[in-house]
Amino acid sequence: MKKSNLIAMILFVVMILPTAMFAGGSVDVDESADVNIEFWHAMSGARVELIQGIVDKFMAENPNINVDVQYTGSYNDTLNKVKSAYKAGNAPDIFHSYEIGTLGLINSGIISPLDEIAGKFDRKIPWDDFFTPVQSYYKYKGDHYSMPFNSSTPLIFYNKTFFEKAGLDPENPPKTYSEIREAAVALQAAGYKTPVTWNLHSWYFEQMICLQDEPFVNDKNGRSGDLPTEVVFNGEAGQKVLDWWVGMEKDGLFLDVGPGWSNHRAAFGSGEVAMVMSSSSDVNTLTAALKEKGWEMGTGYIPRPEGAKGGVAIGGGSLWLTNNHTTEEELAALKLITYISEDESQIAWHKGTGYFPVRKTAMDQLKSEGWFNENPNFLTAFNQLLDSPETLNTSGGLLGIFPEARELIQSAIQEMYAGKPVKEALDEAAVKANASIAEWNEVIQ
Amino acid sequence: MKQSTFNNKFLPYLLLIPTFIILAVFLFYPAIETFRLSFFKIHPWSGAEKFAGFYNYIKIFTNSEYLSSFVLSAGFALAVIAGGIIFSLLIALLLNKKIAGIRFYRSFLIWPYALSPAIAGALFNFLFNPANGVMCYFTGNRTWLTNEKTAIIVVIIAAVWKNLGYNIIFYLTALRNVPVSALESASIDGAGAVKKFMYITFAFLSPTTFFLFVMNTIYAYFASFGLIDVLTQGGPADSTRVLIYHLYKDFFVHSKIGYAAAESLVLFTLVVGVTVLQFRTAGKKVHYQ
Repeated sequence: MKKSNLIAMILFVVMILPTAMFAGGSVDVDESADVNIEFWHAMSGARVELIQGIVDKFMAENPNINVDVQYTGSYNDTLNKVKSAYKAGNAPDIFHSYEIGTLGLINSGIISPLDEIAGKFDRKIPWDDFFTPVQSYYKYKGDHYSMPFNSSTPLIFYNKTFFEKAGLDPENPPKTYSEIREAAVALQAAGYKTPVTWNLHSWYFEQMICLQDEPFVNDKNGRSGDLPTEVVFNGEAGQKVLDWWVGMEKDGLFLDVGPGWSNHRAAFGSGEVAMVMSSSSDVNTLTAALKEKGWEMGTGYIPRPEGAKGGVAIGGGSLWLTNNHTTEEELAALKLITYISEDESQIAWHKGTGYFPVRKTAMDQLKSEGWFNENPNFLTAFNQLLDSPETLNTSGGLLGIFPEARELIQSAIQEMYAGKPVKEALDEAAVKANASIAEWNEVIQ
Repeated sequence: MKQSTFNNKFLPYLLLIPTFIILAVFLFYPAIETFRLSFFKIHPWSGAEKFAGFYNYIKIFTNSEYLSSFVLSAGFALAVIAGGIIFSLLIALLLNKKIAGIRFYRSFLIWPYALSPAIAGALFNFLFNPANGVMCYFTGNRTWLTNEKTAIIVVIIAAVWKNLGYNIIFYLTALRNVPVSALESASIDGAGAVKKFMYITFAFLSPTTFFLFVMNTIYAYFASFGLIDVLTQGGPADSTRVLIYHLYKDFFVHSKIGYAAAESLVLFTLVVGVTVLQFRTAGKKVHYQ
């Protein structure tokens, strides 16, 4: 440990002191020097090529910067690889993390806050051009720590053809818990045995708590500046979500397809079910799957209990800068992530995936192109987000042990499927989560 | 023929050095480091350490999930070992017959061993996944993997199937070494097929059975991760969360490095303990030629 302290001190002297001397904020850096940087991301399949394409364009515009892009597995795999690489002293300059890793990374000691680096080079990021829910998620104590990249919200996807057959209005998807239930009953009566499903994922549960404008954890949903000490997902809002969700499963309206991201897509694509909840980044995949069968697909906002006034929080991921790099590398990395957040990249990314662009100008350009007239389903996620009120709850909860909390919730839901009362299972999950939070808070400081 | 001798005392050590370097770097150092880390609280990112005595051990052994994982793993291991040995012995006996196309059957029955656990898991997922599993269609039950009682059964079947090839190869080799003369003289003495198998064939197979017993124990405890990760991710409701999966989650997902170190040490001790126990008990009854 002493060695790394020494290195940190040297770095402090080498990097912070010159900054202080230049006082104005900009540092002495050779912008045209050849520089190599590494970028690790967690987007698989066709998205690997898509990201490579964006980076290739960036390199063409910045011939002195060479970027080594690597797909490093899931978000979780990527974080683990970054962790080991950092310990070995060869962390990538930029890495991609899921939104729920945010508080952990802020406290990790391995990252450079984005606003700090941008300020250092006098290249302020135009945060006003970013959609508020997107940039406010990654803002902590007034500073942005990472660059929003792939942003999504959950949506309801439904099979319009099946809706028509069941006598439901295909242009007017159900919006509330009871409407979803009624639609499911009608679909079941029309011969669709278990008409609704989504994968076992805590994300939906979290979002449906946001929809009731309730927090996930204490300390202002983890955003007060103090580390949160307790989860509150087992309150009334959480129970309401699961009473409805598990109730549909109990009544045979909902098909339990287990965890993972493929089963519910498969069930929807094969016509096994008529309605799923999934990420808005699935718009492309699911539209294509239904088209193949000659069915038409519609999208709608995720359901809420009657009268709930909240909104959704964004999901997805952002790009982080690791510390301990040369000034030239830092600047190159900053340029790359800024480039990725700009209109051209975001539009290509949106069209290729269904993740929505993070900037207003990119959105305006898509609108004027007429993109949404041809692809109305891409607009739903957007409108859902923009219709969401701006509160601490819809900024999304921050929690160091978020990945573990998700597992506890998912396990609790499976216990509910097997018969445990909702409140009891949720309370037990909360007790376990709180014990882990206490340990995490102790270790991290 | 005269055996050549080396008088240089250092030569054996010199020849052992390459092996020891590899063992030291990839086995001894990580093992010692794990042992050390199990007594610390560790920062999930920086790796900063704080001595904690037996804190991690106390915590894991007072965690009801970990304890139930202990029981689950033992049951899982027993089922995998028993299933693996019984089925592979039966199949090996059949494969030892001289019938047309036997080579073809042999290759196909040994094949599963050549698959990686992830692929074996994916195959079983095709069969049993609730959205469009083939077996769900044929059995009319789609909750194989989402029901707490059946998910573990599917995982056990997959684990046994995956390792069949390994067990069969060893049994086939052993079966060929059963002396025909012993079987013939038993026939002359009037022993039936069952008696011949029990007293002669099985006796000659006992060293192999014992070896497979040990290997399957290690397999059940350590190598089941891939299958479980692909099939159930430890669910539903922790019903397939065996020790190795618990350990994976604690280290790779929850970043509880101290816990994970303690758990891996517990797992290591457990498997060594079981193996020693096997040598002390069953090992004594094994008949070597």
